[in-house]
Amino acid sequence: MSTSTEHVMHHDAPEVVGRRERLGVRLIIVADGAFIFAMIFSYFYLRNLNVNNGWLPADGHTFTVSSGWLLALPFIIAAISHNFGQKRRESMGVLSIVTFVVLAIGLVMQWSQLSNMPFMLAEEGGFEGAYASMAFFLGGANLLHYVLGTFVALGIAIRTKRGSSTGTHETWRLRTAGSWFTWLAISAVACAITTSFAAV
Amino acid sequence: MTTLDHAKVSESRPNPPKSLITKLNMGTGMIVGIVFAEVMYFWGKSMWDRQEAVMENRILTLSMFAWCIGFLIGIGAFIGPFRWLIGKDLTDEEQLFLAGKGQGVSRYFRYCTDHKVVGIQYLVGVMVMLGAGGTMAMMIRTNLITPGSKWVNAEIYNSLVGLHGITMIVALIIVSTGPFGNFILPIMIGARDMAFPRLNALSWWLLFTAIPVLCSAWFFGGIPTGWTAYAPLSVQAGGGMNAFIVTIIIFAISSAIAGANITTTVVTMRAKGMKWNRVPIFVIGATISVAMAIPAFPSFMASQMMAAFDRTIGTHFYDAEFGGSGWLYAHLFWIMGHPEVYVILIPGVAILMEIAPVFARSPLFSYTTAVVGLAGIVGLSFLVWAHHMYISGWLPSLNGPFMVTTEMISIPTGLLFLVLLGTIWRGRPWMKLPMLGVYALLWNFLIGGITGIYLSDVPADDYLHGSMFVTAHFHYTLMGAALTGAIAGLAYWFPKMTGRMLDERSGYISFWLVQIGFQVLFLGMFAAGSQGQPRRVADYEQAFATSDLISTIGAYLVGIGMIVLLYSVVHSWRKGKIAPMNPWGAKTLEWTVPYPIYLENFHEAPVVTSDPYGYGRSEK
Repeated sequence: MSTSTEHVMHHDAPEVVGRRERLGVRLIIVADGAFIFAMIFSYFYLRNLNVNNGWLPADGHTFTVSSGWLLALPFIIAAISHNFGQKRRESMGVLSIVTFVVLAIGLVMQWSQLSNMPFMLAEEGGFEGAYASMAFFLGGANLLHYVLGTFVALGIAIRTKRGSSTGTHETWRLRTAGSWFTWLAISAVACAITTSFAAV
Repeated sequence: MTTLDHAKVSESRPNPPKSLITKLNMGTGMIVGIVFAEVMYFWGKSMWDRQEAVMENRILTLSMFAWCIGFLIGIGAFIGPFRWLIGKDLTDEEQLFLAGKGQGVSRYFRYCTDHKVVGIQYLVGVMVMLGAGGTMAMMIRTNLITPGSKWVNAEIYNSLVGLHGITMIVALIIVSTGPFGNFILPIMIGARDMAFPRLNALSWWLLFTAIPVLCSAWFFGGIPTGWTAYAPLSVQAGGGMNAFIVTIIIFAISSAIAGANITTTVVTMRAKGMKWNRVPIFVIGATISVAMAIPAFPSFMASQMMAAFDRTIGTHFYDAEFGGSGWLYAHLFWIMGHPEVYVILIPGVAILMEIAPVFARSPLFSYTTAVVGLAGIVGLSFLVWAHHMYISGWLPSLNGPFMVTTEMISIPTGLLFLVLLGTIWRGRPWMKLPMLGVYALLWNFLIGGITGIYLSDVPADDYLHGSMFVTAHFHYTLMGAALTGAIAGLAYWFPKMTGRMLDERSGYISFWLVQIGFQVLFLGMFAAGSQGQPRRVADYEQAFATSDLISTIGAYLVGIGMIVLLYSVVHSWRKGKIAPMNPWGAKTLEWTVPYPIYLENFHEAPVVTSDPYGYGRSEK
């Protein structure tokens, strides 16, 4: 492989770095998507197998269908809020705080749901059946997404307040964060749809 | 630029004296990690009754995760994200410090972002893992030297098999893409560093935290399940399984990060003029391998998280009494498990396709065919997982379709054979150590591939499943092809990574000892497997005695060969002949930079004007 010695700048342009970061985040989203897919596959696999009628025992409890959707709502609002804000930068200051607050509320709600599960067997310290196990797992993934989303939203809110979110590179970063928030909303909706099918 | 995204670098003060970053290293990481683990352990003991297995598993698992998080905090992995969070990004000087500028050997023990440092860290880490896994293999074979041998008891034997398996699988997944994917690949494409240098360091140090966790399995009862850790057996196993589960979860995260990083680097940071048809075939292979891991490994991680929840909080993913299913584990595991075979294999084969044109002094035969072959393997590898479940009872009507997809994978694999044969055909081979690997692969992979076709066949698999035949088959594939490729890669790139030539004499001795020992070991194992000897069993019938004795002799030869290789590497690294800039006369970009390699790899960005394999023909 022959080379020539044309001189180029040693520092990449913000657009180049921005596109690079966007691709990296999209690949991480692919990995996260594969993880969410594995959980949804497991949910329907166990539900359809219903081994020993153990998916949902006769006197078993479930989360209400609406609770899954209620917990997806903060993600949806946060995605809309952030993506709206990064397109209209003058309102980013307020909207970044809205994004953070909404996700923080969602985080508390998700924690509260997992702390008050109706299907724990107090005397055995375990779960009622496979549905209960899957619902806990999906809720745990949602909780992790809330933690990550809240971290990113807090960073954006602080940086916007400090005036750090200016310049071409930061514009790209906000756009990339928008991809992440949109993915969080999609995955939460996918989990909500999944848990809407509780009974066999 | 090594670590800076943009903005001008100040050269006046490379080491910021007051930054916390300068005070953190592996030692502080270990101290904080141990403190975190201890605090979590005693807090857990005070919270939960340790008499119950579930509670003990919970305490152990949380303590292991606490160690990992503590270590990463202690080594400074989270300083960058924290500084981003509060809006005070790392300064140029801090980023240069992280890149290891002017730090000498100490940068290998820090959270260093220089891809060349990370490559060497991976190389040493892989050698340690292969050494540990190999030692366990010797112990396994020693126990099998005669029937009725009680050198180790059955429980320890089971743990040896499990730990040998998972240690080697993890080591082989990173054996090529870790050292060469980090050190060589960015230079090969003309980049100044990886796309995300801090994530690059994170992927290594995450993996590093998993090593003591996996080793701790010995102190908690070992891993009695084999590396596949089938549920519900893994759910019922002792405390050592917690170490296995935590290791896999950490490794999956590390792999996803490394995969995203390497893929982004290759897609976005190639030198000017390096069109896709000018990308070296090793780069294509390594990228395909790590990109394949991105969607494949999360299902493995999910399977282990479910096992962890079953063990620590009483869920029932795999417990049939409460609606769980062992088949679910098998699906999640093998949806990862079969692509993972190619995650291991492809970089090794790609290294040898990189080496063949250099030493045959002829162009790579049909570059397009090589890429199509690699892509075909990737596509089909996601459609074959259930051939591991033929006799599990899961949907026998699907055995036929999975047999067809599995046998189809031999077509793209055959293309890679044709590419290698076409390249050396009528070439003038220069029989140096790296080139010997090409011939070894052609022989080993042929046997590994053909015996794989037997195993993909449902009736044959019905008899051979769970026998030593399977063990011999996948060793021919993973060790005979992937590890052979990695060792050839080490011999090939050793001058660029260390500035010294690998000692040829000891290298040749090692090569022949390993290759002859390997054939003796695993051809003997094929014979025992064909006769019906089951794998993962500590004892066997007298009928298998000759085969097993032959296999054990072969194993010792491999062991001696590997010790000679280790000597060769260590001796050459310290006192080897100083290497010229391009000892092999190769045409790829890494050979255009002198050793020691400049922090940013190139003083001036290269521009590529021809394909990398234009030996013996005029430039296009």
